[in-house]
Amino acid sequence: MAPTGPRASRQQTTQRSATRPTRGGGITKNRVRVKTDRDGDIAMDSPAAGATNGAERGGSRGRGRASRASARGSTRVSTRLAQLDRANPNRVTLKVLGLRESKAAGNPDKGRRALIEFLEKKASKSKRIIIGRSVLDGEYLWISINKDDAADVLRLSGYAFAGSNLYITETEEKMPGRDTEDISKEAQETKQKLLSVLARRYNPEQRLLDLSALGADEVLSTMGTFDSQTLAEKAFKVLVHIASAQYKTDQEKAEAIQAVSLARNDINDVAQVFSLALSLPDLKQLDLTGNKLDTTSKLNKWQLRFKNLAELHLTGNPVTVQENYVTEMLQWFPALQILDGRQVRTPEEAAAALKALEPSPIAQFPSNIRDGENNVAAAFLQAFFPMFDTDRARLAAEFYDGDTWFSLAAIPDSGRNLPWKSYMKYSRNIQAVGARTPAMVQRLFTNGTVIADLWKALPPTRHAPMDEPGRWLVDCHTFPHLADPSGQAATAMGLMINVHGQFDEADPSTNIFGTRTFTRTFILGPSKPSTPPPAHPYRVLSDQLTLHKWVEAPKSETNATPLTISTPAVVNTPAVVGVAGIPNDAVKAQLIEQLSKRTGMTAQYSRLCLEGAANWNFAIALQSFEEQKSNLPPEAFVAAV
Amino acid sequence: MSETSIRAASEAAKNFIEPFYAAINDGRPIAPFYINTSALYTQAGHPPADLTINGLVMATPEDFEALLARQRPIPAQGGGPNSRPKTARYEVEAWDVHVINADYRFGAPSALLVPDPTKPDHGASLRQMLMVTVSGTLHLGDDDKLKQHFNDVFILVPNWDVLVKYGAKGHKRVLVQSQTYRAY
Repeated sequence: MAPTGPRASRQQTTQRSATRPTRGGGITKNRVRVKTDRDGDIAMDSPAAGATNGAERGGSRGRGRASRASARGSTRVSTRLAQLDRANPNRVTLKVLGLRESKAAGNPDKGRRALIEFLEKKASKSKRIIIGRSVLDGEYLWISINKDDAADVLRLSGYAFAGSNLYITETEEKMPGRDTEDISKEAQETKQKLLSVLARRYNPEQRLLDLSALGADEVLSTMGTFDSQTLAEKAFKVLVHIASAQYKTDQEKAEAIQAVSLARNDINDVAQVFSLALSLPDLKQLDLTGNKLDTTSKLNKWQLRFKNLAELHLTGNPVTVQENYVTEMLQWFPALQILDGRQVRTPEEAAAALKALEPSPIAQFPSNIRDGENNVAAAFLQAFFPMFDTDRARLAAEFYDGDTWFSLAAIPDSGRNLPWKSYMKYSRNIQAVGARTPAMVQRLFTNGTVIADLWKALPPTRHAPMDEPGRWLVDCHTFPHLADPSGQAATAMGLMINVHGQFDEADPSTNIFGTRTFTRTFILGPSKPSTPPPAHPYRVLSDQLTLHKWVEAPKSETNATPLTISTPAVVNTPAVVGVAGIPNDAVKAQLIEQLSKRTGMTAQYSRLCLEGAANWNFAIALQSFEEQKSNLPPEAFVAAV
Repeated sequence: MSETSIRAASEAAKNFIEPFYAAINDGRPIAPFYINTSALYTQAGHPPADLTINGLVMATPEDFEALLARQRPIPAQGGGPNSRPKTARYEVEAWDVHVINADYRFGAPSALLVPDPTKPDHGASLRQMLMVTVSGTLHLGDDDKLKQHFNDVFILVPNWDVLVKYGAKGHKRVLVQSQTYRAY
């Protein structure tokens, strides 16, 4: 975008750049700051509350209704300004020490921008981290950041930045109000003007923010020399930001602004006003009448963005005569009922379209035990975990041999207090260490004796008993074509066992106790012939342990039946642990479909069976079907074809 | 076990995992990753791939595809992959691989059973049966409305059709013989 900011803004920018150089020019830059700054920097930096009240006391400037609206808007502004300063529960404040000693301290902005970019870039490889408000206060840089991202940034404590070591701490202290340098008078005036524009354009009765024909706005056009389109675009961004900053919560904002008009703004691609979707995602009515949108692709950016949009006006845009226009609008705006004044969906149809967008997790079924006829899996697991807790050397000697492979992979969960140090140096998480690195090779343990040594170095654990309900989820099945160690057959059958569970851990070096969730996968194969004969007919060929982010499940699995050695393992029958609480509709539909497939009952009877005493527990429903099937009427079953 | 074969396993797993989850995330078919698509295996009498999804056995990879499709209620169409908010995204955070049979021979063309000095490890590391575990986060709904932990266990076998043309690019070097999936 061309750096053609209005004079007032430019001065504001120049002044700002003393503390934080920005990337573009004019208002646009301001927008860059504004957008990343969810705390509403503009509002907080400015001592505008006083000025606003002053304006209110000054009374009517003789513009009748408009100025009353202005006064009302302004009062609201002053209250909001105070509220905005309060802590947002989703944000945390961090203090970063070390900037002053870094080489970047010599930059015009004392290195602030460079440090923020460094933190944003280095904090996480997998997600984008955006630092919000930041304040330079003496030797500390204060930053505000999403709670979820805080751990990633805190991890950088101790890292070197431009020749200086950073020290980052989380703090409960309140962030200093502003930088040492104050916001300029011109900037305040610009803001006041914009607030007055906003107040004049907000209709509280209709909850309508009227941003139509911004290019022709008298006040806005005095603020700079734009052609109408650029003005509209830039003014739009600032106005939408300021407007949304007036409300404490998203809910309050959604309540107050339900309709927006962007009519007659020469918009030829909604990309120009995309941020509306971020600022006001809950809009119910949107008016784009009289713009220059010529194809649906020019609305592409807003696909599925406004989930509650019931009414959309595009009259006067060339796009309305496109062939696929209505179809695409219906698809992109699931709640849409009225398009250009015509009803295109009933409220019921809109509700259904909206519902189809809800996340639909795959239904959770109980443990699936298909370990052949001898209960090998249950017997092995019941021996394995207690022995892992009490006598790892013996465990390795009994089940592991010279060809067994073991490795562990850790996904540290910085949100929890348990240390990961004991695991990280052995972690063969190839996603993290790299597929071609020496660590990938070194962290693989390919011999029972070596594995037993490694296990000595791991913290002591205590796994829940296998028969404790709801603590375990086990899937296993046999598979063909392992090597036969006896050499008698070409191949041998193997058994894959995948276990999800939790263990308590006590780390003696740190004296920290806690619970971890893990997944452990074994491949069992026949034992090698030996003298004396092997302790068990099978041995562990492969053992992969994953320590992952803390998740409540599978503990949350309710209605569980314990995994016991006496549990008959029947092929293709989920035999053991129960399903999760009450599933949502999508999951229910899957359960109904599966039960119907399994039993031959109609969908209606399958639902009845699941709804009743089974309470959506698939295993119980199946069991009660078996008990009741002779009593069921013929219409309960799908007619044979 | 030689380092060459450990490295070969790691390479093969990586070359499977990345395209597999990319296909799921982009809503492309995943059935071609499974052993069911190999005429060679099918004719040699290999059973179809064993899929257990959240404890439920699937008859075919297409059944699993159908479940995945329900996680993405609106089919991606038009525009690039970033043109619309994603409704289901599998983010891999950890994986590991072990060789569970270093000399897998089922259905192998005889040419691949003869040591070949022109290939790494004389071609032996092409005949690996692998166990791969993958964990990560499943992001469901816009704005991560629902996050689940997911874990996948795969047993992979060599795709002989591709291996006989050693060096052929853009083909699946391994096929899924078994998949055990849980997301919670």
